[in-house]
Amino acid sequence: MADIVVPPLGGVEEVRVVRWLREVGDEVHAGEAVAEVEAEKATFVIEAPVGGRLYAILVPEGKTAAPGDVIGKIEEASG
Amino acid sequence: MRRKVLWARLGRVPYGEALELQRDLHRLRCREEIGDLVLSLEHEPVITLGRSADPRHVLADPAALLARGVEVYQTERGGDVTYHGPGQLVLYPIIDLRDWSRGLRWYVWALEEVMLRAAAAYGVNAARIPGRPGIWVGREKLGAVGVYVRRWVTMHGLALNVDPDPDGFRWIVPCGVHGAGATSLARVLGRPVGIRDAEGKAMEAFGEVFGAHVVEIRPEHIGTVNVG
Repeated sequence: MADIVVPPLGGVEEVRVVRWLREVGDEVHAGEAVAEVEAEKATFVIEAPVGGRLYAILVPEGKTAAPGDVIGKIEEASG
Repeated sequence: MRRKVLWARLGRVPYGEALELQRDLHRLRCREEIGDLVLSLEHEPVITLGRSADPRHVLADPAALLARGVEVYQTERGGDVTYHGPGQLVLYPIIDLRDWSRGLRWYVWALEEVMLRAAAAYGVNAARIPGRPGIWVGREKLGAVGVYVRRWVTMHGLALNVDPDPDGFRWIVPCGVHGAGATSLARVLGRPVGIRDAEGKAMEAFGEVFGAHVVEIRPEHIGTVNVG
């Protein structure tokens, strides 16, 4: 299982998850945009760290998270 | 050494066309096929909704907007509802923030700083208001910021009200802040202000704030010139 993490954004302490671009169960590719978070009028795109299936959304749309937080999980593709 | 940033003046561009161009350039910048650049332009009248926009902040009804030739776009930038139109200077930097060793917070601050310095060049004293991104003269908005970042490469940017048609802002609740109207350099100064002149002052400010060496290129060379 791989974590989808909000990266350090440089001085930003809190972000709001504005959109999940994939649903739980969807297949995702490494580097694909999976979520958008917003802070201070800036949208930042979060990409899938690995390929596989979106296993869980831990922070839903509209909720806040901090850099370093795990907002979702990906079940890695086998083989 | 100062980093080089290419600058292209595009003139007046429909929103959708500028958006497509930005997406193409963003893709090229992510692949490092081009260097950092800034597009400066004006839009045809358009209302755009950012990712956290409340559709109720568009006050005019869709038929009335259509009749006036005003387009409405949902966009990926951060922020609420914004009006763009002729007389408003728009800068879209397509830059890799990692190359500047800078984060998101600094970048939004820097775009505000560019507008503050451009306004100051006209003797207009604008300010930041904590918790309300953009720049303000009193309670009225002079400039807006809305940014999109993927792989640390930026899109969208800033919009400075130089000498726009004030009617445009009556169609929306600017940035979702009720009771906060919009103003412009021309209104504050009580005289017309040319967009080309403001464009030059804003890019001078951009060079100072980013510590960049700004090099103007012709629009037809965008995407073909690499930075050494």
